[in-house]
Amino acid sequence: MKVCFYFQVHQPMRLAQFSVFSKKGETVFGRYFDEGLNKQILDKVAAKCYLPTNRMLLQCLEKNPQLHLSFSITGVFLEQARLYNPEVMESFRSLAKTGRVEFLSETYYHSLSSLFDEKKEFEQQLKLHETAISEFTKPSKVLRNTEAMFSNNIAKMAEGMGYEGIMAEGIESMLGWRSPTYLYSVHGTQKIKALLRHYKLSDDIGYRFSQKSWNQWPLTAPKYAKWLSEIEGDCVNLFMDYETFGEHHWEDTGIREFLSGTFDEISKYSSLEFATPSQIAKDTEAKGEIDSPEVVSWADNERDTSAWLGNEMQRSCFSEITALEKQVKEINDSELTRVWRHLQNSDHLYYCCTKSLSDQDVHNYFSPYESPFDSYINYMNILQDLKSEINERMRK
Amino acid sequence: MRIAMLGWEFPPFVSGGLGVHCYELTHQLAKMGHKVDFFMPGCGQELKSGNENIRLLAVERSYLNPYFSISKKGKIATYGKDLLNAVKAYGKAASKMVEKENVLKKYDVVHCHDWLTAKAGKFSAGAVGAPLVQTIHSTEYDRASSPWEVILGVEREAVKEADLIIAVSRRTAMRVKEMGADEKKIKIIYNAVDASKYAHKHGHEFSSSVREKKKVLFLGRLTEQKGPVQFLHAAKKVLDKKKDVIFFVAGTGEMLPLLINLSIELGIKDNVKFLGFLPDNDQKKIYSACDVYVMPSTSEPFGIVALEAMAAGTPVIISKSSGVSEVVKSALRVDFWDIDGMAQKILGVLVYPPLGRAMTEMEPNDLMHLTWEKTAKETLKAYNDALSLYSEKKNRK
Repeated sequence: MKVCFYFQVHQPMRLAQFSVFSKKGETVFGRYFDEGLNKQILDKVAAKCYLPTNRMLLQCLEKNPQLHLSFSITGVFLEQARLYNPEVMESFRSLAKTGRVEFLSETYYHSLSSLFDEKKEFEQQLKLHETAISEFTKPSKVLRNTEAMFSNNIAKMAEGMGYEGIMAEGIESMLGWRSPTYLYSVHGTQKIKALLRHYKLSDDIGYRFSQKSWNQWPLTAPKYAKWLSEIEGDCVNLFMDYETFGEHHWEDTGIREFLSGTFDEISKYSSLEFATPSQIAKDTEAKGEIDSPEVVSWADNERDTSAWLGNEMQRSCFSEITALEKQVKEINDSELTRVWRHLQNSDHLYYCCTKSLSDQDVHNYFSPYESPFDSYINYMNILQDLKSEINERMRK
Repeated sequence: MRIAMLGWEFPPFVSGGLGVHCYELTHQLAKMGHKVDFFMPGCGQELKSGNENIRLLAVERSYLNPYFSISKKGKIATYGKDLLNAVKAYGKAASKMVEKENVLKKYDVVHCHDWLTAKAGKFSAGAVGAPLVQTIHSTEYDRASSPWEVILGVEREAVKEADLIIAVSRRTAMRVKEMGADEKKIKIIYNAVDASKYAHKHGHEFSSSVREKKKVLFLGRLTEQKGPVQFLHAAKKVLDKKKDVIFFVAGTGEMLPLLINLSIELGIKDNVKFLGFLPDNDQKKIYSACDVYVMPSTSEPFGIVALEAMAAGTPVIISKSSGVSEVVKSALRVDFWDIDGMAQKILGVLVYPPLGRAMTEMEPNDLMHLTWEKTAKETLKAYNDALSLYSEKKNRK
């Protein structure tokens, strides 16, 4: 059975505390985004996670010739790494150079553009991402849409753009009694294959690893590898945020040793082999068809789009930002377009989420705002300013 | 349990949160089958509770009034100059009454509220041999920008003497600790709201010139503590960006003349309406008539009014220096000195309708956890804790 590790790498371009009373910053970008804060966070997470974990993975790849890994890195992240911390950029480049690390495709701006009425913006953002990735490796033919958002329609669009595989959350609502450890074709498409995340085993690492109240704590590499060996199927997809290693779980939990140990343990089983999403999509046959007219994602308990579009505030942000597409493209100014696209980042909507307590706690953990209401006010204030900027330029 | 409670104000003779708290607490305790004798300053009118488990007992007519009161001529009366003596005299008189009642049937616990009844509590508990529970609703540091040493002295003594102290918030508990109270005997019990009293109240009848405009509400005593000056400065900022907004100032107090002047100086007098002290029923109506309620207090031990506004389904913006901000998630929070921030949040609610709706939608989640029933149950637990602390103390002696 193939074991596929894929790590998601992303940091949003966080907004400035925008004041309607005193406009600061000479450029539009400088007015809306807090570069100081973004650099500070990138440096912090680089020191805790990106640099040491990349270093460790490089050693693992050198030591273990069977090991294959994959990443998905957003354009927003690459942009920040290039601007604020080139060392991070270099360390990902070194991983790419091994030839055994795949970098998946996704929207450059970590946006909800796949949900726009017109697919043009989605296509453009995938293209932008492909260009950014091409700078250090060959772009992948497997798509990981923002937050694993997936539906028949999204799969169909992806197929139309030449993708051979697409990632999705392996949830029961879509699978029924079936297992996420097989590949599936997608209703209404010809040949694109869906790779489904094994959320239980993924979250054992992503969420539960350092939870002392968990009945499987402490999780060890031999135990985890044994679990993998006992699974039936063609492939097991372990997808998680890369920040799991050193940021969500701190170094002293032993998370990094656990990961490298798990690679070693997996290699001891002849029934298990490492593979990248492209290899799996190429070598494995689909075992059945999944049908998802509604969008599913990997977020929250609901696994739908409610983390970003669940309340009226979020929906109003989304409809206002999408409504600007025509004008922004007409003006065709690179800075303005870039700003408009950074504002599409799904995180800005995520910070406005007002879900019930258990989920809300996760949202609060990631949010730079005191409350979803403050996040909404700030976003809307920026959007109003952008609108007047657009109107001014339209008049010229 | 039989409780001797020493209060200061009680609806309808009420000027603030303390009175609301005492009313709701006694009624919840009565509902659970406990007997409460509520001692309060006589005011020349007959006192009737309308509940068989609650007796209202008037201590001799007192010339002391809680915080302030308004005479028939509209003048504001403040503390008399012999305040401390009056407080002591009241304490003696009250404790004599408690002692007399205790002879007929023994009290299990004596419970007093704030510094004005602290002496009465101490004398009473001593006279009847029962533990003393002291609730701190506010301290002199909260109420006055230059605290009065005499009152500080009474408060320090009060927290020292009590067998158990109830603080209405974490910030109040901190204050009590700073006053020298033993941390082990401080319990935090939050205030609450009877949401049903505020829901579905029909709005105020406004003239057409007001009806069409957005409305922002301040409601509280007009003292420095409640932040009305900050409110007017924020109003000015809001009006610079958006003209069709009315700012209501409900309540009265020593700062009224200053505030009227300030509204003229800021050039916003046409958009600021001083409503004076609102009777209960009008208060309920004004909450739902307004688009947002702002509580910019410089120091608010709790802030029940914010819960009342929430119960009426009005979005609220509350000072971070408040106890209520420790327990609600559906509010916008602001530093009282951050005028820009306050104005920006007011504007946010006024110009982005989804915001107010989302806040209102979340409010029941907060209020669900803030009921007087819960407050009373926790208070009852505090009485039991006080009883064990009291017997420990007696055994040591």
